[in-house]
Amino acid sequence: MEPGDAARLGPGRAARALPPRLLLLPLLPLLLGRGLRAAASASTGAAADDSSAMEELATEKEAEESHRQDSVSLLTFILLLTLTILTIWLFKHRRVRFLHETGLAMIYGLIVGVILRYGTPATSGHDKSLSCTQEDRAFSTLLVNVSGKFFEYTLKGEISPGKINSVEQNDMLRKVTFDPEVFFNILLPPIIFHAGYSLKKRHFFRNLGSILAYAFLGTAVSCFIIGNLMYGVVKLMKIVGQLSDKFYYTDCLFFGAIISATDPVTVLAIFNELHADVDLYALLFGESVLNDAVAIVLSSSIVAYQPAGLNTHAFDAAAFFKSVGIFLGIFSGSFTMGAVTGVVTALVTKFTKLHCFPLLETALFFLMSWSTFLLAEACGFTGVVAVLFCGITQAHYTYNNLSVESRSRTKQLFEVLHFLAENFIFSYMGLALFTFQKHVFSPVFIIGAFVAIFLGRAAHIYPLSFFLNLGRRHKIGWNFQHMMMFSGLRGAMAFALAIRDTASYARQMMFTTTLLIVFFTVWVIGGGTTPMLSWLNIRVGVDPDQDPPPNNDSFQVLQGDGPDSARGNRTKQESAWLFRLWYSFDHNYLKPILTHSGPPLTTTLPAWCGLLARCLTSPQVYDNQEPLREEDSDFILTEGDLTLTYGGDSTVTANGSSGSHTASTSLEGSRRTKSSSEEVLDRALGMGDQPVSSRGTRLVFPLEDNA
Amino acid sequence: MERQQRFMSEKDEYRFQHQGAVELLVFNFLLILTILTIWLFKNHRFRFLHETGGAMVYGLIMGLILRYATAPTDIESGTVYDCGKLAFSPSTLLINITDQVYEYKYKREISQHNISPHQGNAILEKMTFDPEIFFNVLLPPIIFHAGYSLKKRHFFQNLGSILTYAFLGTAISCIVIGLIMYGFVKAMVYAGQLKNGDFHFTDCLFFGSLMSATDPVTVLAIFHELHVDLDLYTLLFGESVLNDAVAIVLTYSISIYSPKENPNAFDAAAFFQSVGNFLGIFAGSFAMGSAYAVVTALLTKFTKLCEFPMLETGLFFLLSWSAFLSAEAAGLTGIVAVLFCGVTQAHYTYNNLSLDSKMRTKQLFEFMNFLAENVIFCYMGLALFTFQNHIFNALFILGAFLAIFVARACNIYPLSFLLNLGRKQKIPWNFQHMMMFSGLRGAIAFALAIRDTESQPKQMMFTTTLLLVFFTVWVFGGGTTPMLTWLQIRVGVELEEELKEAPTSHQEANSLEKNTTKTESAWLFRMWYGFDHKYLKPILTHSGPPLTTTLPEWCGPISRLLTSPQAYGEQLKEEDVECIVNQDELAMSYQEQAPSPCRPPASLSLAQKASPQTPSKDNIYEGDLGLGGYELKLEQTPGQSQLN
Repeated sequence: MEPGDAARLGPGRAARALPPRLLLLPLLPLLLGRGLRAAASASTGAAADDSSAMEELATEKEAEESHRQDSVSLLTFILLLTLTILTIWLFKHRRVRFLHETGLAMIYGLIVGVILRYGTPATSGHDKSLSCTQEDRAFSTLLVNVSGKFFEYTLKGEISPGKINSVEQNDMLRKVTFDPEVFFNILLPPIIFHAGYSLKKRHFFRNLGSILAYAFLGTAVSCFIIGNLMYGVVKLMKIVGQLSDKFYYTDCLFFGAIISATDPVTVLAIFNELHADVDLYALLFGESVLNDAVAIVLSSSIVAYQPAGLNTHAFDAAAFFKSVGIFLGIFSGSFTMGAVTGVVTALVTKFTKLHCFPLLETALFFLMSWSTFLLAEACGFTGVVAVLFCGITQAHYTYNNLSVESRSRTKQLFEVLHFLAENFIFSYMGLALFTFQKHVFSPVFIIGAFVAIFLGRAAHIYPLSFFLNLGRRHKIGWNFQHMMMFSGLRGAMAFALAIRDTASYARQMMFTTTLLIVFFTVWVIGGGTTPMLSWLNIRVGVDPDQDPPPNNDSFQVLQGDGPDSARGNRTKQESAWLFRLWYSFDHNYLKPILTHSGPPLTTTLPAWCGLLARCLTSPQVYDNQEPLREEDSDFILTEGDLTLTYGGDSTVTANGSSGSHTASTSLEGSRRTKSSSEEVLDRALGMGDQPVSSRGTRLVFPLEDNA
Repeated sequence: MERQQRFMSEKDEYRFQHQGAVELLVFNFLLILTILTIWLFKNHRFRFLHETGGAMVYGLIMGLILRYATAPTDIESGTVYDCGKLAFSPSTLLINITDQVYEYKYKREISQHNISPHQGNAILEKMTFDPEIFFNVLLPPIIFHAGYSLKKRHFFQNLGSILTYAFLGTAISCIVIGLIMYGFVKAMVYAGQLKNGDFHFTDCLFFGSLMSATDPVTVLAIFHELHVDLDLYTLLFGESVLNDAVAIVLTYSISIYSPKENPNAFDAAAFFQSVGNFLGIFAGSFAMGSAYAVVTALLTKFTKLCEFPMLETGLFFLLSWSAFLSAEAAGLTGIVAVLFCGVTQAHYTYNNLSLDSKMRTKQLFEFMNFLAENVIFCYMGLALFTFQNHIFNALFILGAFLAIFVARACNIYPLSFLLNLGRKQKIPWNFQHMMMFSGLRGAIAFALAIRDTESQPKQMMFTTTLLLVFFTVWVFGGGTTPMLTWLQIRVGVELEEELKEAPTSHQEANSLEKNTTKTESAWLFRMWYGFDHKYLKPILTHSGPPLTTTLPEWCGPISRLLTSPQAYGEQLKEEDVECIVNQDELAMSYQEQAPSPCRPPASLSLAQKASPQTPSKDNIYEGDLGLGGYELKLEQTPGQSQLN
């Protein structure tokens, strides 16, 4: 069945519009409490009265009809996704790289949107306006007595008076429009969690300082620059007379905040496939992940900016600091929440023998991670941010406690969820261009926004890279900077933030512009990644393990400051002091407490807390201490890494022999040359993610190479 | 001022949403507790309480707390609006409140007497799901997983018996329960506990049909753990799975049975319409489910999607879900469609998937099944206290208990007798007793009962169903292990034993009898097998003899088109080896050790492994089918799977 068929079925049966939230019936209620009781209840029971029986039958039919329609519209999306999957397979099979699956999902969404928009007849709505003067507040539920019978109504939303007529439009279009909260409550959490769960830990932590700088400072810079530029554009529009409603400075800043959330999923997918430089990958990925979190919190604190005085849109220091306080509060609160549940999960999985039952373990893992989201939402924090940090913590600690089967189960589970959710969002984006009914296209604003995001990105990357390079030994090369500048794609997060509130004129304009920016960046910039990579001479085909590039590497374009072998070592020692500080704390205290690995706490903790230490140290750790075993072989066990997921099947077999070989030889080298305490750390890092070798021959591997 | 107000209502909505988060959090918390407790139980090998029973206990406790520890708060929707202007109930209502227009959507109709309890405890109200959620969200994964994990060999071998139990048995049980309950209702009317005319015969039948959906998940879990005789396992599992489908459709047909004149007298036309409805919906759902599975099989066969396991898994999941949605959209029963989709997917598509995807899909649905099942049972416990319209009627409850036992007996014993006439391998008495005993009620009965709780009879039914589920899950579920020993049903049956036809079993089974069983008992199965092996498998999967050999001459081009290149390759090998390879089963994923995702090496190693075991032509069925069930044994050693 083609999507078109599904679309045609709907209007034929169209009778009553039940609200669009319904169409998520199978999905929504799972997560969104609001949906718990929001669905149509089909049944009215068998009452004895004859006269009412007919009416009841009609209502029942109506509810059934609407359920059917919901199924059809959901089916439309599912068929879209199916189609996307098949096409993507074709593309991947033929190694076509100019179009990523998300871009494709958008195209299919667009096509279906066009069909729905122009191929379905507009039906009139059935809304009735009722004047009511008794109450001065809106209730969430309403009981209405219609000629002796009681009906329950729930509040759906507020409608500005001008829009009353436009509500009564095409039924089918309304059906395929979701409640924007769905994005935040259902679709984004798995995406974000998966991002956190699959962060490449080693490279991430090594570049932690730079990533944090890009994510926090960078997003703030980008937000302000875009906001200011857009304010200029808005002023210009006012002069030209193109602006038909209010547009304040805070609105501009809000736009800046939402559009600062970069989402280079396309670029990252290509990097992954081509094995582009891992540092660049870590920088981009880490930035984009944290970026999202910052942008969400930033935009919500801008919304919360409410000056006290009469003029509600002038600057007010108190309100400003309150906003900053809100930002910090929400961010740290969400962070804590995520980290705490991650730690709890780690402890539970460590101290129970749950790993005998992978299914239970997986379910526990899933439920705990989901609880993070719900807990954060219930406490008024941002669930998505909490989920992100929960994912990172889970990957860092809990993952090590899981059984081997659970590891692959959790990874695969979240991979599938992530994949589905992401493509769902992108195909919805395509659909929304035509089915969303309140677009405000303003050419000046759109052009201004395009200019602004490029300037904002430039003002974000280049100065920050300059400052970071002052402190970094391992400089961020110009080509890396250009690439990062280039990778400023906008994606799901910007869209979700923009669609969250489309009540006012300004917000509608922003939404339209965001949509167009996402389209443009995903198609044009995403498609141009491969040419750009070769044009910028960024080395591809890098094995993630051999990160100090060997001397004779022909692809090598990094500007080093000294002999390469020395530089590689120095990088590790000096560039990331933040990382090293963290690492030793993590290694000495956190890992032993939360996982089965690391030195026993009895040795690292001071003597006076010996009892506690004994209590928290797992028996395995003492085994690991055995003098017979090499210190580093132990690390291989524990640092079992997430890179495995990405390797895919082809790379596993392709890199199989060569990858492990080079890695192990480099290891041999480093073991011979160094003997300081640094060595342990170094080796541990060097061996952190050996996806291939640590898979099959876990323990034996280094010994085998010696022989 | 205006802004202030808008802010207010925004805040209102904000709070409203957070409430949702809190409720879900409660469920999450309960599930986490359940998981931890279950781990403890499993660790210590306590078998008297299954995880579903545990979930119910926790649900009960939480319900108790919510009921009595929270202060009753007013729901703000206290006022009832009188609308003289409205003649009917529109789906969307725009309400103009002091120049601010709000949009309201229709939720449901409330009968008069429900209004006052409706304004009770807000939290209790919040903790109540819309019953449609069960049908649209929670049940599909459970049912799909059931279909997907049907053990094919034993299932098809016992196909005739299973179908008899499922269709005839459910019908018998429905009618018997309906009649007994009608008697009790009459008695209640006589005793003055019920007004005459409240409870019709159709209501009794409705109760009978929803009570006929057995769900021995507890028993099956124990069987699985103890490796109980596979035939018994298959009979029970197959019956319970198909049972659900039949009961759902039956309930629906009864509820739409509406004679023209006297709504509660017998009307032949309406009756046959209901029967027609039943058949139509059942057949339609069946067709829909299998059609989607066939499409999936063809897609996975003719694309090389197996290079990307994630895409494959995604496609599999989406298409299976589409089966549900399409059936719902077409007015059929989604759950039934999903069940047959699952069975077909396991039979065909599964063979086309890459090894990685096989594991992924199995684990994904296993996981979803686990969560959904526990959520439902948890909710059941909760509903005993949080549902606000319970009607406890001792007589009715007593009658229902009696009725389900009598009906179960009427279902099992006569049918087994009839079946034993035709079967070579008789269903022995202890099996019959065990099946009688395993008549647990579970998720489906509950979901069907909660779907409609508007009228008084329906509320009474709901309460009774809830109690029945509690009783059967705890008492019968807990009594399974003693019952097994008491009935002397052999446990610890390994498949290898069956392969070797070990005469060691202390029961009646000797090797000779077994052979004849397999060749004679399941003629339905053999007919189906031949057709399946010759035509369907080659079309839908990479295996089987090439179609060019099985199809007649004149459709040569089509058959060449549909046969995959692998099929020709395998033709070179011995005939019986090939058969084994093709029957590559659900269980195989566990056994596989080769990391490469492609099929040929896998099937090769399998062939080598299998060929010495099945040297004679006579043993084909034995051998290839016997390999199917390795799952049991191999699941115990999960360490192996890491190598995949």
